[in-house]
Amino acid sequence: MAYLATHDYLEDKNFVDKWLYTMRTGEMDLSWMNAKTEKIMPRPQNARRGLTYRDLDVGSYGFTEVPEKVRDNRSYAPRGAEIPEGVPDAQPWVSRKSELWAFNTESYYEEAVSRQWNATTDIPWDRLEGVEMPEATGKALSQLMTFLTEVEMIATDTPAMWLPRLNPDFIEVKAFIASQAMDEARHAEVFRKRALTTGWGLMAASPMNEMALKHLRDADSFSEMSVALHLVAEGNVLTMFRFSEYLSPTDVDKKIFRLVMQDEARHVGYGMQHFKYVLENFPEKREVLHAHLDEAENISFAGAAATEVTESFIILAGGGMKKENIEEGIKVTTQFNLKQMHEHFERLEKCGMPERKDPKRSKLYAMFLQGKADAEAHGITF
Amino acid sequence: MAFYAYKDYTEDQKVLEAMQSVMAGNLGLHWFNANTEKFKGHASDPNRGLTYDDLNHGTYGYSDLPEHLRTSQSMVARGSDKSGKLPDMGYVVNRKSDVWSDNVSELYEETKARRWAPATDIPWAALGEKPLSETIEIACAQLYTFLQECEAVSLDFPARWVALVNQDFIEQKSFMCGQMLDASRLLEVFRKRALYGGAGLKRANVNAEQGLKEWLWAETYPQGSLSINLALSGMLLAIFRHVAAFAPSVTDRAIMRKAMQDRGRWVSYGTGALRYHLEHQPGQRVALHEYLDESEHVMLGIIGSAEFLEPLIIIAGGGLDKDQVKTGRVAVAKLIKLMMREYFARLDYAGLGGRTERSRLPQVMERVQVA
Repeated sequence: MAYLATHDYLEDKNFVDKWLYTMRTGEMDLSWMNAKTEKIMPRPQNARRGLTYRDLDVGSYGFTEVPEKVRDNRSYAPRGAEIPEGVPDAQPWVSRKSELWAFNTESYYEEAVSRQWNATTDIPWDRLEGVEMPEATGKALSQLMTFLTEVEMIATDTPAMWLPRLNPDFIEVKAFIASQAMDEARHAEVFRKRALTTGWGLMAASPMNEMALKHLRDADSFSEMSVALHLVAEGNVLTMFRFSEYLSPTDVDKKIFRLVMQDEARHVGYGMQHFKYVLENFPEKREVLHAHLDEAENISFAGAAATEVTESFIILAGGGMKKENIEEGIKVTTQFNLKQMHEHFERLEKCGMPERKDPKRSKLYAMFLQGKADAEAHGITF
Repeated sequence: MAFYAYKDYTEDQKVLEAMQSVMAGNLGLHWFNANTEKFKGHASDPNRGLTYDDLNHGTYGYSDLPEHLRTSQSMVARGSDKSGKLPDMGYVVNRKSDVWSDNVSELYEETKARRWAPATDIPWAALGEKPLSETIEIACAQLYTFLQECEAVSLDFPARWVALVNQDFIEQKSFMCGQMLDASRLLEVFRKRALYGGAGLKRANVNAEQGLKEWLWAETYPQGSLSINLALSGMLLAIFRHVAAFAPSVTDRAIMRKAMQDRGRWVSYGTGALRYHLEHQPGQRVALHEYLDESEHVMLGIIGSAEFLEPLIIIAGGGLDKDQVKTGRVAVAKLIKLMMREYFARLDYAGLGGRTERSRLPQVMERVQVA
C-alpha cells in the first residue's frame, strides 16, 4: 500500500539549499505568479444564498466544461490550476463524467452543508422523560430503530470508500459524497440514541438485510453502487421514513423522521439525477445497470421479507398486538410495501428506464403486480 | 458483480412462505425477546443534549469494548442481538488501540455543534469592497491553491479507511465522517476564496503533492493517522494561525478562524489516537519511530516548496519590496520553528519522545537564517 515520494527531501541537497537560500536572501523564484491560468471574478448570483459552487461554474474552473473523459488531471491539483510535470497520480478509478455526474450535484452539496443538524441537540430528547410505551410498541419501535442503525452505518462506508477512487476534478461530486457520509453517520447516531431511550435497549440484528447491504457496498462501478444505494435502497428507506413518521408513537419520533427524510431525499435526488445522466450519456451501461438492478431488486425483496422488520412495523402501524391492531398493522404495512415498490418503478421510469415496468423484465415488478391485485381483492389500495 | 446474496430470495419458497405467513397475521416474533441489555439513556446535562457519552453504558458503551474484536465482523449495531447468518464485511482494523482516542466521542459531538457553511458564513462581500493589491492577491491565490491540495488529500484519508474499520467503533467512524465533511468544506472555502479574489488559481505544488501522497498511502492506519491527523494537520493549524495573524482582509481572517477550529479537532484526535495506540501497544514505538525516520522528510517537501513558501513570505510581509520580503521571511522563519516545536511536543505528549534527538528534521531546520 505504501507509496514513496520521488525524493527524500531531507536528502535532496539542491532542494534544501534552494530553500535555505530563499530564506536567507529573500531571492525568490516567483514563477508561480505567472501561472497560465484563467482569471475570473465570480460573484454570488443571489446574495442571500451566498457564494455557491454554481457561482464558480465559469470557464476552466467550472463543472460544465469538464470533459466526458478527464485525461489531463489525475493528481490532487484543484481543477483549473496549472499542473506542472511531476505531480503524482492519485490513482482514480472513475475519470469519466457520465459515470458519476448528476445534474444539480453542486446544489445538493450546498443544501447538505446548510442543512446539517445535530442529533444531540436538535431532537427534544427531554420530552421522552416519563414517556413509558407499552411493551409491544416500545419493543417494536426499538426493533425498527435497531434495524435503521444497522442500515445507516453501512451507508457511510459505501459512498465513502468510493471517494478516493473518484477523479479529483469532480470536486462537487466528491463534496456531495463526503456530506452524505456525514448525513448517514448522523442517522446511525439518531436511531441508536432513540433505540437506547426506549428502555428496551437494542433488539435483534437483521441478517437478511445485512446481506443486502453487503451487496450495496461491493459494487463493481460507482454507477452500479449509486443505483443500488441511492436509488433502490435509499428510495426504499425514504418511503419507510415517510410511513414511520406517520406511525410514530411520539412527537420526538416524528421530528427524527422529518429530519432524516430531508437528508434522504437529497441522496435519492442525486441518485435519480445520476441514473438519468448515465443512461443519457453512457448508453452502453444500460444493460449493465439492468443486470445490477436484477440483483438489487432481489435483495430489496429480501429486505421486505426480513420478518424482524416487517413484524415490528406491523405492530407499530397497528398500535399493538391485539387482533384488531395486527389487522390494521397488516393493512398499513401492505400499503407501505406496495408504495415502496410503486415508487421504485416510478423513479426508474422518470430516469429513463421504463422498461423495468415489465413482469418479464423484473421479478420484483411481477411481484408488485401480484401483490397489488391481492391487496385490491382485500379492499386495500395505496 | 463483487458480491451476490446467498440466494435468489424471490425464488426461495421458504422466504415467500414466511412472508405470506406474517402478512396473514401469524407473527413469529423471534426478535421480541432479544437477548440484549435493557437500558434507558438520559441526557446527563439537558443543555448539552443527549450525547454519545450518555449512552456509554454496559454492552452499548465504548468503555467496555475489548481490545481485539474477534466476533463482530458484520454491521450489527453494537450491543444488539446477533443471530442468523451474518456477512463478513472484511474489516481490517479490528483492534481498538489502532484507531481509538479517549476524546473521539467529544470531538464528534463538537464536529456537529460547530457546523458552518462557506457559502453564507464568510463575509465574501468585504473582500469585494476592499480588493487587495495585485501582488498580495496573487500570493493569496497561490496559497489557497496549495491548501486545496492539502484538503483533497485530507478528504481521501478518512474515506480510504472508514469502510475498513470495524463497525463496533461507531463513535470513531462517525468522527471520520465528520472529518470528510470538514475537509470538503475547507476545500470548498479555499477554492471559493482563491477564485473570488480575481487572480484565478495558480500552480499545483509537485513537492507537496508527492509528499502528501506518501502520507496518504501509508501502510497502516496508525501510520497514516500520525501523518495526516498529527503532522499535516498540526502544520496546517500553524499555517492557519499564521495567515489569520497576517490576514490581508477580514474575509481571509474569517476563513482562517473557521479552518482553525476544524483542524484543531484533527490534531486533537491524532494526538489522542497516537497516545492510546502507544499506551496499549508499546511495542509499536520502535516501528513508528522508524516510520517517522522515513516519512518526516515530507514536512520539508511542503515547507521548502516555492509554491508554499514564497506566497507565505509575501503575505506576511505585505508585498514584494525588499523590506517587506525581509519582514515576511522573519515571520515565516518563526512559523517554521513553531511548527517544529509543536510537532515534537505533540509526539512527546503522545508518548513518542526523543524525536528531537533522533529526527533528521532539526538539523536542517536549525540552518534557517534570515539575513
